[in-house]
Amino acid sequence: MSTFPAFRPDHRKQPELEVVPARSGAEVLLSALVGQGVDTVFGIPGGANLPIYRHLPQFPIRHVLVRHEQGAAHMADGYARASGRVGVCIATSGPGALNLVTGLATAHFDSVPVVALTGQVASPTIGTDAFQESDVIGSCLSVTKHSYQLRDPGEIEEVVAEAFHVARTGRPGAVLIDIPKDVQQAHLGDDRPLRRIRRHAAPAPAPEQQIEAAAGYLSGARRLVILAGRGVAIAGAQEALLKLALKLDAPVGTTLLGTGVFPNPHPLGLGLVGFMGTGYCNRAVTDCDLLLMVGMRADDRVTCRLDGFAPRAEHIIHVNIDPAELGKTVAADCPIVGDARDVLERLAAQAEPGSRPEWREQVDDWRRQHPLRHPRNGRLQPQEVLRAYYARRRPADITVADVGLNQMWAATGWSGGESGLFLNSGGQGTMGFALPAAIGAQAAAPGSRVFAICGEGGLVMTVQELATAVEAGLPVKVLILNNRQLGMVRQFQDDFYGGVRSQVDHTVTPDFPTLAQAFGCYGEAVDELAEVGPALDRAIAHPGPAVLEFRIDPEAGIFPIVPLGGTLSEFVECPYP
Amino acid sequence: MPVPVSAPASSARLLLVRVEDRPGILQRVTNCVSRRGHQLLSCAVAAGPEEGELRLWLRVHTGMQPPEQAALQLRKLIDVVAVEDLTESGVREWTLGLFEFLAPFARELETELERWGAQVVERTPERLVAALGGPPASLDAARTELAGLGLGDFARGRPIALHPVVPQEA
Repeated sequence: MSTFPAFRPDHRKQPELEVVPARSGAEVLLSALVGQGVDTVFGIPGGANLPIYRHLPQFPIRHVLVRHEQGAAHMADGYARASGRVGVCIATSGPGALNLVTGLATAHFDSVPVVALTGQVASPTIGTDAFQESDVIGSCLSVTKHSYQLRDPGEIEEVVAEAFHVARTGRPGAVLIDIPKDVQQAHLGDDRPLRRIRRHAAPAPAPEQQIEAAAGYLSGARRLVILAGRGVAIAGAQEALLKLALKLDAPVGTTLLGTGVFPNPHPLGLGLVGFMGTGYCNRAVTDCDLLLMVGMRADDRVTCRLDGFAPRAEHIIHVNIDPAELGKTVAADCPIVGDARDVLERLAAQAEPGSRPEWREQVDDWRRQHPLRHPRNGRLQPQEVLRAYYARRRPADITVADVGLNQMWAATGWSGGESGLFLNSGGQGTMGFALPAAIGAQAAAPGSRVFAICGEGGLVMTVQELATAVEAGLPVKVLILNNRQLGMVRQFQDDFYGGVRSQVDHTVTPDFPTLAQAFGCYGEAVDELAEVGPALDRAIAHPGPAVLEFRIDPEAGIFPIVPLGGTLSEFVECPYP
Repeated sequence: MPVPVSAPASSARLLLVRVEDRPGILQRVTNCVSRRGHQLLSCAVAAGPEEGELRLWLRVHTGMQPPEQAALQLRKLIDVVAVEDLTESGVREWTLGLFEFLAPFARELETELERWGAQVVERTPERLVAALGGPPASLDAARTELAGLGLGDFARGRPIALHPVVPQEA
């Protein structure tokens, strides 16, 4: 005989029995989100955000139920990078909120507009170590552009409006709104005037004299290089960049986050710059007499040892929308605060058309001297897999790379003609980013094909989100470059730490096709080069999420690479023929 | 006598920060300073020039980072209205010192306090507290001289300086 109650009321069928305020804080919040154009949110319900979820079905917002809050933050991030709109994620208090932190840091460091909504314990219990209480504001101070803890339900609309404004204005970033449960439940009157929100000013257009000076430097340069970062993508300045490069006959390299903003292959394309950049790009930067850096930060992965970064440059023009990035690492004699598209278009209008055949010939010589190479030893090479993938890339496709060797192989090999979206975690280097970010990108761009390129190490960090992809009907394709080890760490140990391989081998990895099928995805493993293309075609043709495991050469590394502490010109090339 | 602001080391800066008086603002500002690899040496807080604002005087050791980064990063905070680096501005910085003397009091104590311009703010049979305003160096000199007259506790505030802080044009 059962000991359970014979009757359990189903509240979902009896909404009329509930005493629901006409306009609760949760409803005001959701209404404000709709007002901001939010159509999709990624999250998990929990004790402290249930008032929001109670009213969520009343609003025209798609909710993607994730399996871990980190996934929600990465999905909001991917959604934002793919769409240019603000991505939104929701978590409950305590562990739910804290699980967002890595994802928010990832978005914030890469200047991605994300708004995170976290439930919080009720106001009277804040500070009492209540169940699932955490100081998420304090925990997120250094990984968000701004944060709010709502104490007055009358502030909800203003705070939401201001949070979205802050997230997308100037240099975009992550914003957190922490909402105590009592604020979500509070009743508000209907006829309340909206108070004025604070305006976070975007930088004014760059002064004309700065543009004139920069245009003059560009026109007079003999050995000119342009480096472009993610700011070009954020500003939608890809066409302006190409136009300026063509007008000046200037080679263009990209940062890791800038991958995809310039077409490849292209006669002016230099590929990736920096620590694992192409030899010809690094030599061109080392030898240039003028360097134009646009929409990039110039971090240590770009510059390597600072005294070897563009040492022969007579002028350095640095364009960034964030004034604090100018002079932070590289001293530019022509710093310009401004939107990349505005500045590039104005430079293109003012700079004299130029032809630099000697410089171009020199760059092409380096291109011939330092081609991207990989071993040919009979084992499946990641570059071969990616070549087959990029051969199938369409301009509207979205490529999302994870972190590690897979990311660098994907970035250095990025190809397929026109510029396009290549998303990755460049600032934080967050393993596990690709799958959830791809799901978010797919939600933002249902008409695009979205591919996540992962290693097996990163994928298993967020692999549970395959369930999210299946459940939400988001047909991402996951390409695993499985070398059965933490490959980049292994290469660092080999190259820089005395060759002592310590804790890098994955002696146990899942049977990925079986795992994929367990989640309801298509799954297939590939060992032979001849099978790579057909497997890709089968995965692409599959209507739902698909996982392809490419069992690659475990010894494959990334080349060229600059030794730690070295300068850009000291790169080491692939030692194998 | 007032003295110009002078950095104890080339990378020490005195920043005057106008902020909106919102919950958590001190946490945001101090976090920003430490997050960027700077060391916060001192912080003084007073009401701001506008209602709803505060003024913060931060003495910051910028360490290995470019000195201007401290102000540039603070300007990015949403609640920060404006930041002025006073380090080389020539403005005078002032502070307040409280000197406590315990009974029995030295005969010449009151004469010496008068000579320094200190004001007796509390007097009991057991204890005398005097307040002295002035540049930090002047207060340190007073502390040294008064130490021989039964000086007990001594507390000196962090420096402040009056200077217009105007938001930059966007």
